[in-house]
Amino acid sequence: MMDFIGHGGKEIKERILSPGEAKKKIKNLVSVEISGRIARECIDLGYGFFTPLEGFMGKADVDSVCKKMSLTDGTIWPIPIVFDISSQEIKEKGIKVGDTIVLTHTGNPLAILEVEEIFSYDKDEMAQAVLGTTDTKHPGVRMIGRMQDTFIGGKVTLVNKPQFNPPFDRFFYTPRQLRKEFKKRGWVRIVAHQTRNVPHTGHEWLMKGAWFCAHGDAPVIGNKDEIKLGTGVLVNCIIGPKRTGDYIDEAILLAHQALHDGRYFRDDVHMVSITCWDMRYAGPKEAIFHAILRTNLGCTHHMFGRDHAGVGDYYGTYDAHRIFDQLPPGSLKIKPVRVLEWWYCPVCAEVTYSGLCGHTKERQKFSGTLIRSIIKDGVKPTRVIMRPEVFDVVMECAEKYGFGSPFCTEEYLLKRNPVFVVPPLG
Amino acid sequence: MLETYPINIWINEERFEKLKAANLADMAVDRLGGMKVIQVQCTEEQKDKILKHFPMAKFDTATTKSIELLPREVKDKIFDIAIKLKSIGPDVIDEFFKSLD
Ligand SMILES: [Zn+2]
Repeated sequence: MMDFIGHGGKEIKERILSPGEAKKKIKNLVSVEISGRIARECIDLGYGFFTPLEGFMGKADVDSVCKKMSLTDGTIWPIPIVFDISSQEIKEKGIKVGDTIVLTHTGNPLAILEVEEIFSYDKDEMAQAVLGTTDTKHPGVRMIGRMQDTFIGGKVTLVNKPQFNPPFDRFFYTPRQLRKEFKKRGWVRIVAHQTRNVPHTGHEWLMKGAWFCAHGDAPVIGNKDEIKLGTGVLVNCIIGPKRTGDYIDEAILLAHQALHDGRYFRDDVHMVSITCWDMRYAGPKEAIFHAILRTNLGCTHHMFGRDHAGVGDYYGTYDAHRIFDQLPPGSLKIKPVRVLEWWYCPVCAEVTYSGLCGHTKERQKFSGTLIRSIIKDGVKPTRVIMRPEVFDVVMECAEKYGFGSPFCTEEYLLKRNPVFVVPPLG
Repeated sequence: MLETYPINIWINEERFEKLKAANLADMAVDRLGGMKVIQVQCTEEQKDKILKHFPMAKFDTATTKSIELLPREVKDKIFDIAIKLKSIGPDVIDEFFKSLD
């Protein structure tokens, strides 16, 4: 039990019915077809990624999250997790408080939702509170704006398990499975790396630097060449909606694995995994959400680089670092590892840290735009900025999964093999 | 002098060796971790011809005044011609269009 304590001191419980129970349970229930986001959040709720949440929030929790950044019981929580539906559908299907409805995705049942509350909430108010803006140029604002006019609060239980397609399948772990993995590896400290990016060496050093921070005061166990480290980096790739121009999911995931396979990280200090989540780009508040999510995954530390989970100029470069100082002590179990910037310095002749290297005139900053233009031109980068194994995998993924491009194109978004499917209830 | 508009071409270690052999190494500007860029210059007329021929390409009017988003194969070809002609001037683009015919 102690091994499965998640955010808010609550045990991580899976809420999943066996196929037999599920079939009986969903008989004669009203069904509602859900969006990709809600399907991903049902999966997260069902497996305990969102512990202590057991379902979609009711109005009091949404209000408390918006106004106080905590649930009504005082547990820190920065982003509303809501089930939206049109008032018309509620009326047509006669959904009322006390009902249980079955949620289908791509036609097959995924979960049941106990309708505890039906309510409305001002979406602009929600956007302003969570994102600090109602500017529709902000992708998080647009996401909230696209929500239907009514919300249902209530517990969610999976009636069916999503099936992850290759190459994603071997990287999907539930929080309980992940914690067992950590235990198997003897990891006591685990530092999480949040990513939606193909790693360049700036990212690699972000991870390595954060590993040092997490490991720094760990006792030395073992002798000479057989030191047991007990500290690992968990790369947690976020799987959610994609826009044209983003790196394709397969390239992100397999490029991180290429750092592992290429031995840039030892087997016993690094692993790659995926979690379904639709980024809100809420900057500092999203950073807290990521910290909660990775607490539930069993991580003890979480690295935050510059502009973490931000977009445009809505947040300051280090807002996501500073917000952790505003939390009441003890409200998060995970420790933030706050990282400035890794850059390449031609004088030092290496990737080095902005907090250490004084060659501020000569230094060359990593820029996503520059790296993308190199990859787009298919010119193999120097190994000091991107490992050749990483580049090769990205190019392979372009051919194998990306219809020739490592970046999402209209064709990819239309024809890609889905990350997961909800199979018929067998 | 007439204004010209550059096409940026990435230079890694392998390409840099070829530039050195063509006496063009001095033209390469260091950008990031040994990745360099050369700028093949286009005249206004060549610029318009390129944008017409490759509709996916964009002219960055706001900041760099360079021609961006050309397909990889096109840039590869332009690079090879620059090496062959030992030049990064408008003669490279003339030769490039000849090669298309
Ligand atoms: Zn330096």
